[in-house]
Amino acid sequence: MSSLVDVSALWVRFGQVDAVRGIDLRVPAGSSTGLLGRNGAGKSTTMRVLAGVIPPTGGLVEVAGHDVRTDTLAVKRLTGYCPDVGGLVPRATPWEHLQLAARLRRLPDGWEERARDLLERFDLGGAAHRVTAGFSHGMGRRMSVVLAAFHEPRVLLLDEPFDGVDPLGVEATMEVIADARARGAAVLVSTHLRELAVEACEHAIVLRGGSAVAAVPAREMSGEAGAGAYRALLD
Amino acid sequence: MRQVPVPTVPSSTEPVPRAARTRRLAPRRVLSGGVEATRDVLPLLRFRAAGLRGGAKRVAALGFLLIGTLTVLAAWLPAYLAGAAGSAGSGVLESTEVMLLLPSAYLGVLVIAVVSSAASGGGRELMTREQGVAFPVSSTTDHLGALLMAPLNIAWLLQSWVVLGATAFVVGPTGLLAAQVPVLLWLFVATALAQVISWAAEWVRRGPRGAWVVRGTVAGLAAAAAVLVATDRLVPLLDEAPTVRVLLAALDGSEGRWLLWLRTVAILAAAGLAAVVLGAVLARAVSRRPARDELRVESSVRPPRAHPASDLVALLRTDRAGIWRSVPLRRGMAVLALLPGLVSLAGALDWQMLTILPGLVASGGALLFGVNSWCLDGRGALWRDSLPVSPLLVFTSRVLVLLEVLLLATAGTLVLASLRAGLPTLPELVAVLCAAVVVTMQAVSGSLRWSVRRPFAVDMRSARATPAPPLVMVGYSARLAFATTFTGMVFIATSRAPDWRWSVLLALPLVLFSAYRLVRVSGEWADPERRSLVIATVAG
Repeated sequence: MSSLVDVSALWVRFGQVDAVRGIDLRVPAGSSTGLLGRNGAGKSTTMRVLAGVIPPTGGLVEVAGHDVRTDTLAVKRLTGYCPDVGGLVPRATPWEHLQLAARLRRLPDGWEERARDLLERFDLGGAAHRVTAGFSHGMGRRMSVVLAAFHEPRVLLLDEPFDGVDPLGVEATMEVIADARARGAAVLVSTHLRELAVEACEHAIVLRGGSAVAAVPAREMSGEAGAGAYRALLD
Repeated sequence: MRQVPVPTVPSSTEPVPRAARTRRLAPRRVLSGGVEATRDVLPLLRFRAAGLRGGAKRVAALGFLLIGTLTVLAAWLPAYLAGAAGSAGSGVLESTEVMLLLPSAYLGVLVIAVVSSAASGGGRELMTREQGVAFPVSSTTDHLGALLMAPLNIAWLLQSWVVLGATAFVVGPTGLLAAQVPVLLWLFVATALAQVISWAAEWVRRGPRGAWVVRGTVAGLAAAAAVLVATDRLVPLLDEAPTVRVLLAALDGSEGRWLLWLRTVAILAAAGLAAVVLGAVLARAVSRRPARDELRVESSVRPPRAHPASDLVALLRTDRAGIWRSVPLRRGMAVLALLPGLVSLAGALDWQMLTILPGLVASGGALLFGVNSWCLDGRGALWRDSLPVSPLLVFTSRVLVLLEVLLLATAGTLVLASLRAGLPTLPELVAVLCAAVVVTMQAVSGSLRWSVRRPFAVDMRSARATPAPPLVMVGYSARLAFATTFTGMVFIATSRAPDWRWSVLLALPLVLFSAYRLVRVSGEWADPERRSLVIATVAG
C-alpha cells in the first residue's frame, strides 16, 4: 500500500539540542499510527515537522509525495493538524476559526454543514460563537480536533488529542479517526495514553530520546503484557 | 456506617464569622503577614532573574547600570551648567524660571505614575498570573512587586530625570545631596500614591457597573480640567500644589536649614510608608474581586459574520479580533487616543507643536502589543501557522492592522488637540500629517522587527502583562521615544517653512526607509527556521 507519510532519517536540532535523531516513519493511506513515548521523546516535534510548522534540520520528509522542506504550502493543504498546546486563537470564536481555515483551504460552498455536524459531535454546537479564551482545556482540545479534521485532510495529525478530554470527547475523536481511515486518509496520533493509542491505531511507534526504539502492531501494546513491554521500552 | 462531618475550608460565598473577621484584622497578624509578604519579594526577583540566560543577563545588568548612571548624572550634572544657581556667571533669571515650574514638574511624576499603573490595572506584575498560579504569592507581595516595577517605565524615568536635573539646576552645587533627598522621597511618595489610586480604581472597576463608574469619573476629571483651563484657573491652582513643600525642602537642604528640611523629609517618608500600607490593603481588596469585564469579554458571544471575501480579509479579521476584543488593549488604545490630545488641549498647543503628538501615540501603541505582535495569537499560533497561506500575506495583515490601529489613535488625539490650536497654515497641516505617517511607519517597522527577532511568550489577557520583560520594554520605549520625538521635532522645522512641499520631501525618504526595513523583516519572517522559532516561542 502507498505511504502518504514518508519520513526518512528525520533530524531536528534546536540550538545545542537534538530533539529528533534520525526517525524513519511510514504511514500508508487508510491506516493510523500511534506515536508513543515519554515527554521530550520527540513526538510533538515530529508532528510539527509533518504539519510544516518546523523545518527539518536533516532527512527527508514527504507528505503525499510533497517534500515538506520545499513544498511546504502543498503539505499544509494536505494535512490537518491538532497541535499539542492550545491550538486556538484566544479572541476568535470557533466559527471564526472555521471560516479562516475554510477560506485559506479553499473549501467549496457547503463546508458549513460538515462544520456544524462536527461541532455537534464534539458537543461544541452551543459554543460555536463564543470567544475561545474562556474555553476549558478539554473544550479547547476538542475544538482543535474539529479544526484538524473538518476539511477532510489526506493526512490527519493529532498531537495529544485525548489530553484532558472527557469520555464523550474521546469517543468523538475515535470516530473522527475511524472516518479518516475509512476515506483513505493517513492518521498519525501522538499520545501518552497507551490504551487509547492501541484503540485508535493499527501501528505504534515508540520514541525515546528523539529516536524510534520500536515499531510494532498496536495490539502488541495492549493489556498488561503490552503495558510491560511499553514500560521496558521507555527506560 | 457512621457519618463523620469532614471539616472543609469555607467557601468564598459563605459569610465570614465576626470572630474570623476580627482575627483577620488583628494588628499582629497584619504585621507578620506584611513582613512575610515583603520577604517573598526577594525570591520572586531571583526567579525573574533566573529566567535570564547568557547574553540577556549581561544586557539586563548593563541596562540597570545605565539607568543608575543616568540617574546620578541627571541629579548632579545640571548643578554645574551655565545659568545654574551658584555657578560661575550664574543667571538668577534662568534658575528662577525653572524653579517656578518645579512644583508642577513634581506633580507630573504623580500624574505619569497614576496613568501608567491605572491603565495597566494596578501596575506591572513581578510574576505573571499564569506563572503565579502555582505559588502562594500574596496580594501584598504583588503590590510591592508592582511598586518595584513602576520605575521600569520610560515615561516615569524621563520625568524623574527631569525633576532631579531641574532641582540640581535650581539649587546649584552647594548642598546638592541634601536638596535631592526630599525629591527622591517625593518620587517614592508619588509612585506609592499612584499605586494606591490605581488599586482603588481597579477595585471600583471590578465592582457592579464599575467600568462605567470609572469612565464617568475620568470624564468628570477631564471636564473639571477643561473648566479650569477655560477659566484660566489652572496655573494659579498649580502654584498652590502641595509639591511646593518639596521644593522648599530642597532649598532648605541646600541652604542648611536643617530643622525645616528634616520636618518635610520625615513627613514625606511617613506619607510614602502610609501609601505603601494603604496600597497593600487595597491590593488585597482587589484580589477578592474577579475582573468582571475581562471575564465577560472572554466568554462573550460574537454573532457570525459573512464569509471573508479574500485571504487577506480573513487574516485581517482574526488579527483585529486579537486587539479589539482585548479589554487591556482597548483601554490602552483609548488612553493613547485621548490623553495626549487632552493634555495639548489643556496646554493650548499650537499646530507646530502638534507634530510631536503622533510620535507619542505611535510609540505608546507599539509598546502596548506591537513590539511582540505574534503573541496576540497566543497558543493558536501553531495552528495558524499550519494553515496553507503565504507567510508574506500573514506578515502584511499584521502590518496593516498595526498601521490602522496606530493611525486611528493618532487621528483621535490630533482631532482633540486641534480644537484649541486655531486654524493651521497649509505647511503646518501638511507637516503634522506627514509627521503622523512617518512616525507610524517607524513604530510599525520597529515593532515588527523586534517581534520577529525577539519574541516572548506572554499571556496578554492580563491588563498587567507587558509584551516583553520590563527592562526590554524600557529599551524599546527609549528607542521609540528617541526616534519619534526627533522626527516630530524635525517636522516642527518644516511646519515653519514657507512651502508645504518641504514636509512631503522630508517624509518621502523616511517612509521609504521604514518600508524598506519592513520588507527586510518580512524576508526574515518568510524564513521557515526563523518563523518556527517565533511561533514556538509565542505559543509557549
